[in-house]
Amino acid sequence: MQLDYFLLVAAALFCIGVYGLVTSRNVIRVLMSIELMLNAVNLNLMAFSNYLDPVGVKGQVFAVFVISIAAAEAAVGLAIVLSIYRNRDTVDMEQFNLLKW
Amino acid sequence: MTPILAQTSWLIPLYPLLGALLTVPWSPAVIRRTGPRPAGYVNILTTFIAFTHSLLAFIAFWGKSSPQFFFAPWLHVANLDLTIPIEASAITLGACVLITSLNLLAQVYAVGYLEMDWGWARFYALMALFEAGMCALVLCNSLFFSYMLLEILTLGTYLLVGLWYNQSLVVTGARDAFLTKRVGDLVLLMAVLAIYPLSNTWDFRELAVWAQTAAVDPTLITVICIALIAGPMSKCAQFPLHLWLDEAMEGALPSTILRNSVVVATGIWVLVKLEPVISLSSTASAFTIAVGAVTALGATLISAAQIDIKRILSYLSSAYMGLMFIAVGAHQPETALLLTLTYALAMATLVMACGSVIQNVITQDVTQMGGLWSRRPITALAMMTGAAGLIGLPPLGGFWATLSLVSGLWDSHRGLLVAVVLIVNWVAAFSLARMVGLIFAGQTQQMTVRAPEPLWLLVMPMAISGGFTLHLPLILIQLGLLPVWAEVSKDMALLLTWSSILGATLGTLLYVNRVVENPAKLVQKPVQNLLAYDFYTPKLYRSTFVFGVDLLSKAADWLDRYVVDGLVNAVGLASIFGGETLKYGNTGRLQFYALTIAFGVALLGVLMSWQYLAALF
Repeated sequence: MQLDYFLLVAAALFCIGVYGLVTSRNVIRVLMSIELMLNAVNLNLMAFSNYLDPVGVKGQVFAVFVISIAAAEAAVGLAIVLSIYRNRDTVDMEQFNLLKW
Repeated sequence: MTPILAQTSWLIPLYPLLGALLTVPWSPAVIRRTGPRPAGYVNILTTFIAFTHSLLAFIAFWGKSSPQFFFAPWLHVANLDLTIPIEASAITLGACVLITSLNLLAQVYAVGYLEMDWGWARFYALMALFEAGMCALVLCNSLFFSYMLLEILTLGTYLLVGLWYNQSLVVTGARDAFLTKRVGDLVLLMAVLAIYPLSNTWDFRELAVWAQTAAVDPTLITVICIALIAGPMSKCAQFPLHLWLDEAMEGALPSTILRNSVVVATGIWVLVKLEPVISLSSTASAFTIAVGAVTALGATLISAAQIDIKRILSYLSSAYMGLMFIAVGAHQPETALLLTLTYALAMATLVMACGSVIQNVITQDVTQMGGLWSRRPITALAMMTGAAGLIGLPPLGGFWATLSLVSGLWDSHRGLLVAVVLIVNWVAAFSLARMVGLIFAGQTQQMTVRAPEPLWLLVMPMAISGGFTLHLPLILIQLGLLPVWAEVSKDMALLLTWSSILGATLGTLLYVNRVVENPAKLVQKPVQNLLAYDFYTPKLYRSTFVFGVDLLSKAADWLDRYVVDGLVNAVGLASIFGGETLKYGNTGRLQFYALTIAFGVALLGVLMSWQYLAALF
């Protein structure tokens, strides 16, 4: 078990998150992809704090903050999605293109 | 009194110029109530003053060999000193007398001729401009200022030919007159500019002095001389720049008097002044002779085939200018000047008589005229006087001038040219006899049944001019210009006389006695048409120069419109196209923006960590 593997897994997870974020048509899945990316970040923070800073564990504290902020952001995000849904009657990302050229 | 007049001879061109300015108020747009006539009277007055002045100054100068020079500063920049040199001598003032007297006659003539016309202000202003320009040309002693004056006269020709501009043929004629003369002037300008570095002067006298000892590249001086000749070539309506004079016959007749007799001779004046320079190159002299000979032969033949009375005379003008070209080319400048004098008087008489016929016969077609002799004796006599004075018929002026030309040519062993001059004289005599015969002899036709002599205003100048033509030998004797009879080449005199008599007799037999039913059928139709249509010169122009320039300008226009403009427009279009296309990058989808950001970040990340990544592989 080395630091590199953790970082690679986190990077892979982040990439999957980005992929999901870009390709999903469902807004909920986009939010879920954002959660994936945040988790990849958390994984990074945990790995670094474990391997590089085992005494201070500052990364773990950051991770706690990130989790809480992620929860808050998911709440706000879902609220926005709900309000859009009430207006447009859909959660398809392709329909929200009022600003196109 | 007279010395003052002689010293102020530079004032002569200013009188008619003043007259030209004074006519302007009588343009129909300014003074409407009095009519246009005062414009003419004012101009006749100023012309008369100019005439008197030049006559008195001429008398003062006659017999004195030394000319007087005056210098008027014009412009001095850097190393170039443009001072106007004015030469007052017997010759220049004599030319002024000729110009002002002919203009006086033409202006009095115009009072009668243009009685039914409203455009007096314009007409008289332009006639006065011509008079001023020509007086200035003969007085000024500089190639540069001669060129300037020639250009002003070119513009004057354009305006004067285009007097009645509501006629389409007048418009095209004025256009051709301007462009053809302009081409010659422009080539002359090239030579004027090219001769300065060689001679460092534009003064005619200094040019002559320079030419005596000049050692220049023969090719260079040949090219310059031919360009110098090109200016007078277009001015004097020489082949191949002769069509304009034909078309200029669309203008008002009183201006034709001046044009045919004097204006076309302005080119000869410059050519005579340039004779010392031209004699530097034998090729240029030969060129002058060739142009003159071809024009003289061609134009007399054409003139014999015309049916338009004014055009018969216009081609004779070209022909006689051609004879003067021969004289200059054969290094006989004095002969050229003498010929100009005799020609100008005779031609003025001819054109005035011709106008007197046109004025109440209305048609200009000589084949529709006839039988005018009994009712138009003065006109007939004037026309015959003019004709006899023009061709080499002793004892009138034209004989002495032509004789001097022929003897000079014979003395310099140019037998071929002697033959050319004799043939030209022969055909010219035939052509004039044909004209006189068609107009005055035979049966009256519909157009000539009722044709009285015109108003005295037309008859008087015509008669005076005819009188001067008749008295010219006496005037020449008085001035000592006639050769002593003992020195005259009798053979040449006989040949010349016989050629005139034969030509005139042939014309008389054919057109007065009508020995042949229809003389026009004597010549084959193609040849007849070739001459009648002036060797198809308009077609020639149109298929060569006009076609080439037209094609070139269309090509240039196309290039400008589509290539130059297109290139600039392409830049604008590319920007528009770029904007129009790139805007589709703004898809309006949040996810696409996220993708772009992700790509951007990835790209920047790769770029920034490139050195570390390279170390990995």
